[in-house]
Amino acid sequence: MALTETRPDTPARAASATRPATSVDGLLGTGDHKVVGRLFIGGGIVGLIGALVLGVVAVAFANNYDNPAADAFDYLPQIWSMSRDLAVFGGLVPILVGLGVYLVPLQVGAPSLAFPRGAAGAVWTWFLGTDFLILAYLLNGGPGGGRRDFVVLWAASLAMMIGALLWALVCVAATILGARTQGMSLDKVPFTTWSFLVFALIGLVSLPVVVGELLLAFLRIRYLHLPISESAQLAGVGDSVNLAPALYWLAIPVLGMAADIIGVHTERPVRMRKPMMGAIGLFGILAFGPPLVGMASVRPVDFDNAFLVIALVGAVLPVLAVLGLAGDSLRLGRFVPRTALIGALLSGLLLLLAAVVALLAIIEPVQSFLDDLFPDRIDMTQTLILNGTRFHEGIRALVVGAVLVALIAALHHWSTKIWGRKMTEPLGIVALLATAAGAVILAAGEIAAGVDDQPWLPARATDDYASGLAAVSLIGAIVLAAGAVVLGANMAMSFLGTKPAGSSPNPWSGTTLEWATPSPPPVGNFPAPPIVHSATPLADGELQYALVAGTDAEAVAGPESAVDAGDGEGSEAAADEAADSDGGDDR
Amino acid sequence: MTDITPYDYIPADVAPAEPARPRLLVLATSLVSVAVGMGFLGLIGYYLSWRADVISTGERWLPTGVDIPLTQPNFMGVTLAFSVITIWWSVAAIRDDDRSNAFVAFLISIVFGVAFLAQTAYLFTIMQMEILADERSALIYGIIGTHMVLTIVAMGFALVMALRTLGGGYSARDYEGVLSSALFWTMIVALYGVQWYAIYITK
Repeated sequence: MALTETRPDTPARAASATRPATSVDGLLGTGDHKVVGRLFIGGGIVGLIGALVLGVVAVAFANNYDNPAADAFDYLPQIWSMSRDLAVFGGLVPILVGLGVYLVPLQVGAPSLAFPRGAAGAVWTWFLGTDFLILAYLLNGGPGGGRRDFVVLWAASLAMMIGALLWALVCVAATILGARTQGMSLDKVPFTTWSFLVFALIGLVSLPVVVGELLLAFLRIRYLHLPISESAQLAGVGDSVNLAPALYWLAIPVLGMAADIIGVHTERPVRMRKPMMGAIGLFGILAFGPPLVGMASVRPVDFDNAFLVIALVGAVLPVLAVLGLAGDSLRLGRFVPRTALIGALLSGLLLLLAAVVALLAIIEPVQSFLDDLFPDRIDMTQTLILNGTRFHEGIRALVVGAVLVALIAALHHWSTKIWGRKMTEPLGIVALLATAAGAVILAAGEIAAGVDDQPWLPARATDDYASGLAAVSLIGAIVLAAGAVVLGANMAMSFLGTKPAGSSPNPWSGTTLEWATPSPPPVGNFPAPPIVHSATPLADGELQYALVAGTDAEAVAGPESAVDAGDGEGSEAAADEAADSDGGDDR
Repeated sequence: MTDITPYDYIPADVAPAEPARPRLLVLATSLVSVAVGMGFLGLIGYYLSWRADVISTGERWLPTGVDIPLTQPNFMGVTLAFSVITIWWSVAAIRDDDRSNAFVAFLISIVFGVAFLAQTAYLFTIMQMEILADERSALIYGIIGTHMVLTIVAMGFALVMALRTLGGGYSARDYEGVLSSALFWTMIVALYGVQWYAIYITK
């Protein structure tokens, strides 16, 4: 019997699993995290655009209150539910996961993602689950559907999508925790990577609860023969990640990406790293709502309301902290009006707006608490009760807008790394403004409708005033969807553009490891494991690695950095590479 | 014998230590175990919440005529407790490069797993509760069934690791697969503890 004495070489094993996707079989069988990341991002963009267009249709039907005979109204619960499912699990989360799968190994200096084949399996499972989900809705399934088998298919396919995304998050988290390069302790990882770690961990403890809900829904529909006319009540499945503060889970990477992007584009990395990391971590902990509230609800005390108040109030603080620390960079550095920088700032502001407006939801539980504490106090019967109203759709619109704006900024920032070309700036600005404006207008309409006690969708507007608010929402939904369409078009133009790849490795003078690789990085990312000594290795004169890697040292260092060419073996290769990449895309 | 102080043996200029080999499988298994645990605890949370609601109305939680005897779940717990000992015996054995013992320990753990499943099936027969009688019984069977599926997954994981151990895939220098299997198994047993209290004890 053979006994292997040789120590397994994980990087080598990982590299062997990564072959370039130059053909269909290469694409299907690839283990290259960059290909997997691109698939998640591309699929997610398509899903998000579809979800936002469906959202427009849902709001349009809700607005049409004076025509109750409209046949299409029967489908409103399904359209609304499909829009919600696709926006979160078919759009935003896959794009975020795709960015994590793509960027995290580069930022931590790893040759590959942990379990690259598993991540490839996750993306194809997610594609399959999304197809089944759409099929289920098209065949009159899903919440509100009339065909039992396809309502069952909806539950199974949504669980499949979530399972695939969870597995991809496991790969991302394992890479951050176990595959960091030498010298990169956890407090030295870039903010983006840190935020993806928090995002993954909170997702791993939150999303399984939704899978549990889907299992129960599956049992009820498949075996207990829930009257099919009552299937609309299944639309509540997944609400544990659709309501603030649990909804903030989606926005955790927004903070990390914004901090990194602002630091790079102002040329002043955030000075107080640990407070920044603490703020991102705190934001994640406060978003850890669903399991805690779900489990705590069995207690006799009204703990869920107390938790809600604490989480909603507390969530404002980390967002303020991140904006303040990033603002410090802006104050000390310079403001260059680029899409990435404007988007990073705008996403933080939108998130702050969402967190502040969501505080309206605590009025009722606080008043209830005070009533219990002081039963003889002055009666305040004018309590604002927002639970079950469209108010929550408004908060959701702001959070979705913040995440989408951050994604626009991130894709502009890292586009050279992801597909080798920059994205068009004017289109980026248009997408940013449309998305932000659309989210704010939509949120304004929905929040006002919620204060007016309009029930949560799916429901028609009940009077002229509500119909007017729905018209405002419709305008916002259309503008928001237009922003996503412009983003998709910009990505497609950039990805399919005729300009040759080979952009500068470091067009923004970034200081983290991903900028030490060619654009886009080769299979295996790094020719040798880099060694780092600080959180900003490219800003500390640690250019030896870049020279060994054979990349353009001057470009990696940035235009203003001094370059010590050294006399390493890679110097010649670096010089050649520099000559080759002079003609790179520098739009 | 020359007078040599210990520090003389330490070279003045040593190369930095090789980076520790990433234990990715252990990390991933831990993360998956946490996710599985949260999903299961979520189900238990729904169960307890629903049960509390029903009992607060003065109604009986379990359907009429149904009784869950405690002896059988206790024996199931004891069986799983023994399996925890044997699964960690496999880890201890592989750390001593004793692959034969590790393999035997894995097999015994799997036998305990099979026994647990058989005991659960027997419990179903003596509970006399129809699976599809109503939503409550479906929920109870759903939770127990989920745990049975997780147990089967843990047994499959242990079987693969047992075969890899027997084939020389793991040794005292690299036993992360064995450790991962033990971690996941332990999580499944811990979840049974929650199920035991929430369903069999509180009824």
